[in-house]
Amino acid sequence: MHSDSNALNSITTEPGASDADSLFGKVLDLSEHGLFLVDSARKIVLWNEWMAQASSLARGDVIGRTFNEVFPELAGKRVASVIETALDMRTASLLSRSLNKSLFPLFSANGGGERKRIEQSVIVKPIQCDGRNYCLVQITDVTPMVQREEVLRVLAREAEAAQKAAEEISRFKSEFTSTVSHELRTPLTSIRGSLGLVSSGVMGELPLEVNKLVSIACNNTERLLFLINDILDIDKIESGKMDFVIGPVDLMAVLRQALEANQPYGEQYKIRYVLNQVMAGVAVRADTDRLMQVLNNLLSNAAKFSPEGAEVEINVLQNGAMIRVEVKDFGTGIPLQFQSRIFEKFSQADGSDTRKTGGTGLGLSISKAIMEKMGGGIGFETEEGKGTTFYIDICEMAPA
Amino acid sequence: MFEITDIQRDYITEILNISMGSAAAVLSEMVGEEVGLSVPEVAFLPRRVAADQFDLNNSAKMSGVTQSVSGAINGDALLMFPEEKTLTIVRILLGDTVPVESLTEMEQEAMCEIGNIILNAIVSSVANLLQKEIVSSLPRFISGTGSEIYAINTGCEDDLVMFLKVGFGLESQSINGHVTLMLNVPSLREFIAHLDEKINAL
Ligand SMILES: Nc1ncnc2c1ncn2[C@@H]1O[C@H](COP(=O)(O)OP(=O)(O)OP(=O)(O)O)[C@@H](O)[C@H]1O
Ligand SMILES: [Mg+2]
Repeated sequence: MHSDSNALNSITTEPGASDADSLFGKVLDLSEHGLFLVDSARKIVLWNEWMAQASSLARGDVIGRTFNEVFPELAGKRVASVIETALDMRTASLLSRSLNKSLFPLFSANGGGERKRIEQSVIVKPIQCDGRNYCLVQITDVTPMVQREEVLRVLAREAEAAQKAAEEISRFKSEFTSTVSHELRTPLTSIRGSLGLVSSGVMGELPLEVNKLVSIACNNTERLLFLINDILDIDKIESGKMDFVIGPVDLMAVLRQALEANQPYGEQYKIRYVLNQVMAGVAVRADTDRLMQVLNNLLSNAAKFSPEGAEVEINVLQNGAMIRVEVKDFGTGIPLQFQSRIFEKFSQADGSDTRKTGGTGLGLSISKAIMEKMGGGIGFETEEGKGTTFYIDICEMAPA
Repeated sequence: MFEITDIQRDYITEILNISMGSAAAVLSEMVGEEVGLSVPEVAFLPRRVAADQFDLNNSAKMSGVTQSVSGAINGDALLMFPEEKTLTIVRILLGDTVPVESLTEMEQEAMCEIGNIILNAIVSSVANLLQKEIVSSLPRFISGTGSEIYAINTGCEDDLVMFLKVGFGLESQSINGHVTLMLNVPSLREFIAHLDEKINAL
């Protein structure tokens, strides 16, 4: 502080050529900021080289003149008044670029001789030296910061627009999917009905060859309908429009119903469902139809991926605070590299067109979403070549 | 707890509201639209209690501007708003917004200037009251939770602070913030003593 005030003295008491020659004068001239000092008589007593360059006013032209004489255009402006308060009240002030669009008339010379107005941020600080008040004004060229933020602003606006467009597309996509699926379902249902009637023989016996073709058509129409229903389900889950009627559900009753429904499917794959372990009378917190949908998928998967003649074992057991339903098969197992993707949409271990099992790979992703909505969970344990156990955990609930 | 009389409270509130009026005039002129500033409440509280006012209501982050004062009184002055309000204030005042979640460098600088204008007005009205000089430093942008800002758990949580509610009226919304003068105890005593002199002289 002591040497500092000496420096101030040497510069301020003898204005003119000598201050530039002093060490401190040289240091100030090397500064990358504009610096000038105003004394209590409002006279400019220091003016560094940066100021001289940017204002095109040489030091000799300003030293000893008042601030108002040097910058008549700033009379009454905020910058003039904060200099006053710095001198009178000793308060420091900041003048930001954003709130003060044009502060001092300062320009930078750039290559082509063209002069550009300097974007500024200004600080005004009171200084006291030997009992006298001064005010230091420091100007920083914030042009790079202004340009940086201009780029940022453009990028942020673009990102915002892109985000909006993406949302629009995704909304359109899901609307499109659901409209198309609904439109497809109606005619398909009637095709299936008609084909069903024809193949059942009520319209008259069919030649064996024709009957074969009709039943292929029938099966495939069925598959298409399943697919469409699954797609509609996924769409509903994703848009949060799937309704759940949650209440206490008699688990054993639902399970028996699901087994019965899957019996023909099991026969088709030549497997046998065995209800191994039960919990009589247990009620769970679920939506009956949705729970049925999950059980159907696990039971049909187990049948599809079991060897002929195998058993599929079903167990109901207590698992901590939850009730667990296990569906255990002795089939192919799930390849390790596929395990992490198994609950994703349209994911199947055998993605080839030639796979022998039907399905679209939507079942497990729907099942998982359903279980989560009901406050439960789904998981599996598997060993390749030995079999797989899929299980669901559901909250127990007092029976109705 | 440090109690002040109703008369003392009214007197401080009035003085502060006058200086807020002039700060509001400066801001209004800068941004070319009406800005209102008021100090509806003044209290003397331990830092801990001041921090709680922020942390209890919403333990979300606060942000604002601080500058230190020295001379007749010593300490720090803070102007704090809930973080998202700071964003609102700056973006309403600047008009030209950048759609990003936090203040940009330049917006922080603008907030510093806004805080600087308000805090300088308060500090100079205190200086006028004391008829002594108070030197204020440059404003700095800060953010954090109440306890971070009030340096709780550093052994000074029982120190008293002068806690002012500040109402910021902009366009169609009004935003509430706080100004805190964290003064050391001798400074506070001196402040109250001067206050009484002034009131007695009335
Ligand atoms: N018990 C299982 N054993 C072996 N692999 C299984 C078993 N369950 C499911 N997988 C694998 O996970 C894939 C996805 O099953 P998911 O139920 O989601 O679809 P899917 O049964 O192929 O078709 P969908 O259920 O939609 O008719 C299956 O294609 C199969 O590769
Ligand atoms: Mg399936």
